[in-house]
This record gives sequence, C-alpha cells and structure tokens, in this order.
Amino acid sequence: MEGGVFSEVRIVGWGGTDQSIVEELINKFVVPELADKGITAVYEPIVDDFQKNLINSLSAGTAGDLFYMDIFWAEYIIKAGQVEPLDNYLAKSEVLNKDDIIPSLLDAFTFEGKVYGIPKDFNSLALVYNKDLFDIAYIQYPNENDTWDDLENKLAKVVEAFDGEVTGLALAPEFARFGAFAYAAGWEPFVDGKTNLMDPAFKEAFNWYTGLKEKGLGVMPADIGQGWGGGALTTEKVAAALEGAWILGFLRDNAPNLKYGATLLPKNPGTGQPGNFIYTVAWGINANSKNKDAAFKVMEALTSPAAQQWILERGLAIPSRKALADNPYFEKDTPEAQANKIVFLGASAGNVKPFKFKEYGGKWMEPRNN
Amino acid sequence: MKIQQNHTSDINLKIKRRRWTNVGAIYLILLLFSVLFMGTFLFGALSSLKDDPSSWPPTLKTEQLSPKNWIGAYILARQGGGGGFFGELKSGHEVSFQVTYKYPMGIKIVPPQVIVPKRFKGSGRAALELDREFVADFVKIIPVEEIGRISVRDGNQVSYKIDIINPSQKDFDELPLDLLVPYKVDFLSATLSPNRIERLGRVQSWNNLVSGVIPYIFHNHFRVFNENYSRTTGRRLFTTWIFNSFFISIIKVLTTLMFASMAGYALARLKFYGKNYLFVLILFSMMIPGQVTFISNYLVLRDGIFGLTKLFGGGSLLNTFTGLIISGLVGASAVFIMKQFFEGLPKEMEESARIDGASTYQIFSKIMLPLAKPALGALTILTFQGVWNEFFWPLVIITSPMDKFTLTIGLLSFKDTYASGTFDWGPILAGAIISALPIIILFIVFQRYFVEGASFSGIKG
Amino acid sequence: MENRWSSLKEKTAPYVLLSPFLFGFIIFFSYAFIRSLYFSFTDYDLFSVPNWVGINNYINLFKERLFTTALKNSLTFAIIVTTLQTIFALLLAVAMNQKIKGIRFFRTAYYMPSVTSSIVITLIFMWMFQRRGVINYLLTLLRQHGLTIGVFLTLLTGIQLLLVVTEKIRGRPVEYLEPSYIVISIIFAFIVTYVLKDFGIIKLAEVKAVDIFWLNTREKVPSWAGPLAFPRPLGAIMILNIWTTVPTFMILYLAGLQGIPKVLYEAAEVDGAKGWQKFWYITIPQLKHITFLVVTLGLIGTLQMFDQVKIIGSQAPLESTITLAYYVYDSAFPGASAPKVGMASAAAVILALLTLTIVLIQKKFSGEGRDLRD
Repeated sequence: MEGGVFSEVRIVGWGGTDQSIVEELINKFVVPELADKGITAVYEPIVDDFQKNLINSLSAGTAGDLFYMDIFWAEYIIKAGQVEPLDNYLAKSEVLNKDDIIPSLLDAFTFEGKVYGIPKDFNSLALVYNKDLFDIAYIQYPNENDTWDDLENKLAKVVEAFDGEVTGLALAPEFARFGAFAYAAGWEPFVDGKTNLMDPAFKEAFNWYTGLKEKGLGVMPADIGQGWGGGALTTEKVAAALEGAWILGFLRDNAPNLKYGATLLPKNPGTGQPGNFIYTVAWGINANSKNKDAAFKVMEALTSPAAQQWILERGLAIPSRKALADNPYFEKDTPEAQANKIVFLGASAGNVKPFKFKEYGGKWMEPRNN
Repeated sequence: MKIQQNHTSDINLKIKRRRWTNVGAIYLILLLFSVLFMGTFLFGALSSLKDDPSSWPPTLKTEQLSPKNWIGAYILARQGGGGGFFGELKSGHEVSFQVTYKYPMGIKIVPPQVIVPKRFKGSGRAALELDREFVADFVKIIPVEEIGRISVRDGNQVSYKIDIINPSQKDFDELPLDLLVPYKVDFLSATLSPNRIERLGRVQSWNNLVSGVIPYIFHNHFRVFNENYSRTTGRRLFTTWIFNSFFISIIKVLTTLMFASMAGYALARLKFYGKNYLFVLILFSMMIPGQVTFISNYLVLRDGIFGLTKLFGGGSLLNTFTGLIISGLVGASAVFIMKQFFEGLPKEMEESARIDGASTYQIFSKIMLPLAKPALGALTILTFQGVWNEFFWPLVIITSPMDKFTLTIGLLSFKDTYASGTFDWGPILAGAIISALPIIILFIVFQRYFVEGASFSGIKG
Repeated sequence: MENRWSSLKEKTAPYVLLSPFLFGFIIFFSYAFIRSLYFSFTDYDLFSVPNWVGINNYINLFKERLFTTALKNSLTFAIIVTTLQTIFALLLAVAMNQKIKGIRFFRTAYYMPSVTSSIVITLIFMWMFQRRGVINYLLTLLRQHGLTIGVFLTLLTGIQLLLVVTEKIRGRPVEYLEPSYIVISIIFAFIVTYVLKDFGIIKLAEVKAVDIFWLNTREKVPSWAGPLAFPRPLGAIMILNIWTTVPTFMILYLAGLQGIPKVLYEAAEVDGAKGWQKFWYITIPQLKHITFLVVTLGLIGTLQMFDQVKIIGSQAPLESTITLAYYVYDSAFPGASAPKVGMASAAAVILALLTLTIVLIQKKFSGEGRDLRD
C-alpha cells in the first residue's frame, strides 16, 4: 500500500485456545486480504498474567500493535493514553462500521465520546442444567419463563427425588454470578457516584442467592471439590450452574457425554425481568505503534463478517456483529448451538450491564466476595 | 574354664544381637524419612498416570498400573493392526471387546448401545479441527452379541462381545467408544477399564481403545508433548523448552567455569588494589536477593546495555537468550567457591614455577586449573542445577513467544494452559515429573559432586 | 622492551583475570544496587522521567497495608522456617551419621527435594494441598485411625517401660530409649493392636473428610496466637520450604559431624555420659560453626522467598502469601495500575537492609567471631 512497504502487525492476546483461533483467523482472513498490500500479522500469545505483561511491554515500548482489551481493566490503560482512539479510522473505513456492532458492547469501550476498541466477541450468563437429573426426577426442565420461585421449586423437587444425593444450583460465592440477580431485582451499582449496597433490591437478591444454600438447594463448587460451576456440573452432583459459553469447551473435554441444556436466567418475581452481565473483550491499537494503519487493517479483517461467521459456526465464541443474530447456526439442534444462542440472547434480555466497575477494576469486588 | 568361656560367648552373642537390633532401628528410622522425602515424588509420579489425579480419595490405586489393563490395551492394539505397545486401527482390522454388566431385578436385559463418538476437543489447538476425518464415519459396529449370563443374588450378570470393524482404506490412530446402558445397570468390568463413567453410571466412555500399552499408561505425559506446540514454527513446545533449558544451562556452566576460576584465582593469590573491598562486596552481593536489583537489570537489558547492543545491530535484550545469559555470566557465589578452593591449595608449586619464570597466566592455566578439577566438577553440577531450576530471571526477561521459554517458565504456563476453571492436574503433574527427571538422573550419576558442592560451599538458597 | 611488556602483562594480570566477572558484577550488581537506591527516592513509573520525592516512598510504604503484611509475612516465614529447618537438619544428620550398608541410597533419597526446582515441587505440593488433596486425605485417615494409633502408642510406651524397668531392677544399665527394646516393643505393640482390631474391639472412627483450606483462605493459624498468627497458605509454603531445604543443610551438618574427633565421645563415655548428654555437651558445641552457617544461609534464603508465591498465584489470596520479595516484583510490574518503581525500590532497599541486619544480629548473638569466610 504505502509504496509497497512491508509491515508486520504484532497481535498480542491470550494463550491456549485463543492462540489457535487467532492464528487460524490470520491464515484464513488476514493473509488473503492483506498479503498484496504488504501487511502480515503474527500472533504472540501471553500465557501468564496477560494484564501484567501487557502493561510491562507498553512501558518498555515492546508491546504489540494490536492487543486484547478485557472490559474489566481496559479503562485503566485507556486513561493512561496507551490506546489509540479509533474514530478517525472508522470514519475512513469501508469495511468496519460502528453501527454493525452490538451497541451495548461498543458502549463499553467508548469513553468521553471516543471509541477505543472494537469488541471481538462477548459472553453472558446462562442457566446450564443437567437434563438427566430432571428426567429421572420427572421434573420439567427450567425455562425462560421461570421466575426465581419457579426455579427454586424445580430445584427443590430434584433434590427431593435424589434424597439429597444431588443439590440444586452451583453457587459461586462471587459477585460475577450473584450480581446478575441483583440487576434482575433492579439494582444499580453506583448511585450519584457512590456504591449502593444498602439498596433493598441488592438485599433481596442477596437473600435469595444465599438462601438457596441455607435451604440445601445450592452448594458452593468448592464444597464438592471443584473450582467453579463447570467443574461442579461434571460431578453430576448439581442440577444446574450459572456460566457463560466458556463452559462448552470445558464440558467437551471433561464430560463429553453429559446431557445438558441451557436457558435464560430466571426472572425476578417483582420486576419480571432477568438480569445479566456482559463480558467482552475488544481489539485495541497501541497508541505508540508505528504500524497503526496496518494494525487497523488487520483489525478490520479479524472482525469482518466472514471471520465472525467462521468463529460462530465452530462454536468458538459469540461474535459482536448485530447481523449474526439470525444466523442459521443458532437454529442448529445441538446442545452447544442452543447454549450459544441462550448466551447471545442473554445479552439483551432484562437488566444487563457490562462486567466492569468504572476504573476500580477488580478492587471493587474483593471485600464483597468474602 | 569351660564355664568361663561359655559366659563370654554368651555375652558376645548378646552384644551381637543388640547390635543387630540397633541397626534395625536405624534402618526403620531411615526408611521412614525416605518415605517422607521420596514419597512425595513417587506419589506425584504415580498420580500423573491417572485420568484424574484429583479424584477423591487420592489412593495409589491407578487403573493405568493394573496389569489387567496392560494386557487389555496390548490385545486391543494388536487387533487394531498396530503394535501392542504403540497401537492404531488399520484398514480392514477388527477390534473385539468384552464388557460385563449387572442388571438388577426388574430391569429389562437389553444389550448396551454402542457408539463410536465424534469427539471434539474443547481446548487447545485441537478445538479447531472440526473438519478433520473422524474414525466414527468409517467404522462399522457389528451388532452386540451376548456371550454369557449368570444369575446372581439380586439380578443377572451379563457379558457382551462388541466388535468394531474398519472396512475403509484408511488407518486411524484412535478409536473412542461410548457404551450406553439403562439407568441403574451397574458396570462391572471390561477388557480395558473405561476412562470415565458418566451420566449417573449410564455411560462408560473410552478415549482410545487402540492406543497401545505405552500411550495408555503415560497418556498424560504424551499430552504434555502433543498438545503444546508452537503454531508459528510447528515445533513441540515442551521439547523446545527442554532444549532451551539445556542450552542455557550448558552455556552458563561453561562461562561460569571459565570466569569464576579466573576471578577466584585472582582473588585468592594475586595482589591488586581494592582486593579486600571487592571481596566484602562479593559477600555482600551474595546476601542481596535478586528482587533488589532486578528493576535496574530489567531496564539495562531493555535498553540493550546502555545501547551497546546497537553496535552489533541488536536491540532490546528482553526476550532473548543473550539477555538471560549475559546478566548471569558468572555468579558471585561461584567466584567465592573457587576463591576458597584456590586458597586451600599449597603454594609451593606455584612459587617454584614463578622462580622458573612462568607468567601468571601460565601458572593459572598450566598448574592451578588442573589442580582445581574437583572444585570445577562440583561447580559444574551446582551451576547446572542452579540454572536449570532458575525461575525468577527467566520470568522477568522472557515473556513471549513461548518458543523462548525455559522449562521452569514453560511449566508455569501449564498452570494457565490446563486451568479452564479447575486445574487439569494430569498434564501439570506429568510435566512437572518429566522436567525433574534430567536433574534427578544427573544427581544419581554424579551424586558425589552434588554432596561435595553443597558441603564445601554451603551456597544455595 | 620485551621486559617492559611482560612486566605490564604481570601487573595487569589480576585485572584481566577479573574483568569478565567484574563486567557483570559492576553492571548487574553494583550499578543496579545503586540505581535501586536512587529509584527509591523518586516517583519513577517506567513511563515518565523520575522525579525526586525524598523519603516519601518509605513513609508511604509503612502506610500501605499490603506492604506491612508482606513485611510481617517475610519475618514470620524467615524465623519459623530457619528455626525448624536447622533443628530438623541437625537431627536428620545425626540419624544419618551411621556406618551401615545402603547409606548411599538414603542420602540420595533424602537429597532429592533439594535438587529439583521450586516450580516442580510447588506444583506437586499445590496438588497435594488441594481441598480434596492428599494432605487432607492423610489427615482424614489419621483421624479415622486415631484410636488405633493411640492404642498402639500407649502399648508401645507401656511395653518399653516394662522392659527397661525390669532390666533396671536387675541392676543392668539401660537407657529409656534403648533401640533394641524399641524394636521389640514395636513388634509386640503391633501384634496386640492388630489382634484387638481384628476382634473388633478397636473400631474405625466415623469422621467426615477433613476439609482444611490450605491455599484459598485468609484464615490465620494458630488461632490462639493472636497477632503472632500467620495465614495458613503461608504455613503451607513453610511446610514445603522446610521439606526442600532440610536435606541441603543436613549435608552440611553431616560433614561437620564427621569432623568431630572420636576421642571426645570416648572421653565422655569414660566419665559416664549418656547419649543425650553427649549430644548436648559435645555434638552441639562442636557444630557451632556449621550452625552459624546454616542459620545464616537459612535466613538469607527464606527472606528472599518469591517463587512459591508467584507459582501459587491466584490459588491463594495475595495477602495470605505475599512476601517482601514478591511485593517488590508486584509493585514494579502490577497488573491493572501504573508501575510503582519508586515504591518497589524502597521496599527492595528495606529488604536488603533487613537481610543485612538480621545476619549481623545473628552473628553477634551466636557469638561467632569469624564471618562467612569460614
């Protein structure tokens, strides 16, 4: 492009499956698109402590041109001026349009009117349940019309049918799960810039969530030797867990035969609404990169409709483009496709908020998790 | 006289007997301690063979160590047409498999449903291989045949024979299997024990019937090598890390031997300005943790040693082996050891050589170095061990790409690679055990040097 | 000319021989140390130019809870681990100081933890310290078989006492811990316990699985120790650390033991000294130099404990494991905030001073006149 100058865009992200996905995307979508423009891309996974490494490398001037930004901590590096605002690039772009992206996702990376990141995919929470346990107990599966009370009843019946050999819901003692119920009750985390923990809605949700454990209808995953809801499901000792699409790959490896289903989180009886979190990761461009234009081109290719379609069809992640809502993949009759659909729908059902706390990052939650 | 003699031999016998019991007690104590010190490794090593090393209760009983399963794995792999130790499912071969269930009273006896599943991987590179060929699309399952029925107290014990044929022209390296029985039917035994029992006992699931004995026993160890490889170079990461650790260790051993003996000799025997201050400074540096100086060192390497590397066309030394090696060419403690050793050598030979007109360099290389062999041996081992096990520096300097990791940092990355929610302890333990092996072998072979090194320097920790 | 050249060569020889070492030593130690000292008085953050802030960093450090926690953890860790590992190393060395067959095997076995890397050992221990892990399982077994073990130990002491007392009545000089009798007592106690168990007189206790949180907890132990209590995850690291370092120090003691002249013991025996008296009045004073070395190395090693904290990582809350060394690293390379190099350097300087002071105090205290050189 620029006089045939060869430029290599360094992409930095997580290790593990992400590495495989992005490298595959590079081969399939970046190379064919940009090779003749003299742009190549290489993926550099960071396996241990991504944030720490990213911030180090930003300070050392060795950071990649294009990197993952988790909504959870993005605000800090954006405020530190390390991320390039994208508005000018978007204005010129022919491929990438702000309006194509699901608005709530894009908002999460918009600060003072400027867009700093293009969401690559997202997740929300779903109620994932073990069908066998409901079948054996002759109880109807949980569904999207259930209120908190309905779900509680169903769980109680399952527990009864198995004489307490099985408990109801895997209750992770953390805000990242419980918070969704507080939102369902109509709670707002910050009122007039202050935390708002004395709100009756917060208390209602808290009492219901912890009440499940007291009634023997829920168990902390750690109490059955597991670290999280997914692990708890594989033991077949809990009827349901609250997790996002990240659970699917785990179940494939650890419980390939588990008969599971997924549905939206139950509604608060008062508000008639479910609540949910949006977890999302965006592509950000290094403000000090020498390759910003090339990096943006790579970003375009990575978030193109074709690339996102490819990701979705493989059930690897739920893409951020609005247009994919009526993709045939979501109509497929496999448990995975159905669970992915629920996660997709979850992001717009009821009172949904991005999983972040202004610039407080994780510090906000620490004392409350205990 | 005779009585007297008898009495003495009686006492002798008593003393002898007592000595034996004493020795017995000592052995007992020593053995107890061995269990404490080695048991941990052995338990870790045994558990690394298990499908799920964190199963409760954590007993030593391991399916992978049962000879019955070895025989089963061997037979199945032979039937598949491969070798018994490393198997496969070749074209035209038939695998025959037996399984026994207990059907309780009141449950209709129906044969298990046989499924050769298309198993997708949920994590790692394999998760993308959706378009690969699945053995499930090619094999033919022959209708299940009942081969025996015994009536037991509260039900029936029924055995089935399951045959799977590969009529296609292709060879496959795996044959997964799921068997589905009604709820409440108990699985009793099979030619090869299943890897998992799921859905409240209804599904027995095998990862690979035709793996062969070795991959069956060491499947976590194979995962360590097979599941981690660099997408850019295609090389296996674990092997690369082992190689990296060897490479860096050997280079550092060589530089340490050379430079530490030079400096140690100068400090021990030569006169120069500021010798005592330097020695105190060396002692001081040995007490200072690496974390005290690491920020500056990190910056120095980042800037390529004050820009010196630019002269050679290089840039930042972060993420390079050069950076890792150059920042620890020779440790202060190695110099200290060599100085102590040279000081302990007699001076006469050196003095007579000097009278004969030999230069300092000649004395050092022709006389002192050959004398220092035992110390150099101990130093080699100590340095190798130190570098092989080094954790902090590689952690700071090497962050990406993963091809450049040392074994220690690579192992740390396993904590993330195999932690989707809960740790998959199998490959983590397997990786830990494998990476400890070289040093343990080295230790067993060169035990003397290890002990000498530790006792005459006392420098570790 | 020739002569001048060779005399120059001789004169510069020490410096030439030292130069490769000095190159690294000056850049990567002396310069780095001075620079840390300098950074500790600035607000450097890796991005902007450092500004001089005086002793503010030091003042702020002591206001920060994470730092004081790290300081306390480091000190507790160093003191407890050094004490216990010294005692165990000495006892183990005495037990090992035998001329019997197969001692080589035992030495190899014992030394193994010391040659393997911290990451390997920490990973294995992390696995054992899981809530449903080996350690909790062993504790469960212990509780289940508590009665059996109690009966066995009571029998053991009883039989031993009986044997020794009868011997004493007969006027023979025996020690209470006479090893040959211990062997006999063990065999008898074992048989009796086995029979009792077989007849169902001793039963297994019905207990729930022990469920101690070794890693993921902020709980402090021991609970009665009040402000002296330390977080349990730190305790887990202590166990791990003692287990790895005891063998190294045992080797040092072993070398020392073999250097004690036999005459001393023989003279003591003539004077009628008993086993423990010999240990107390000969062995321990004779090993004074070694003890000094072991304690010094132990303190230096424990005060810089870092690897285990990093490796355990998010498996335990940071406050429950953090040490000074880790605090330095974590402030210089934090996750989601600006690097605080100034604070990190101040903490690093405190760590260095702390190490020096403790080593000097221990030198004075132990009355060891000579320094590390010996």
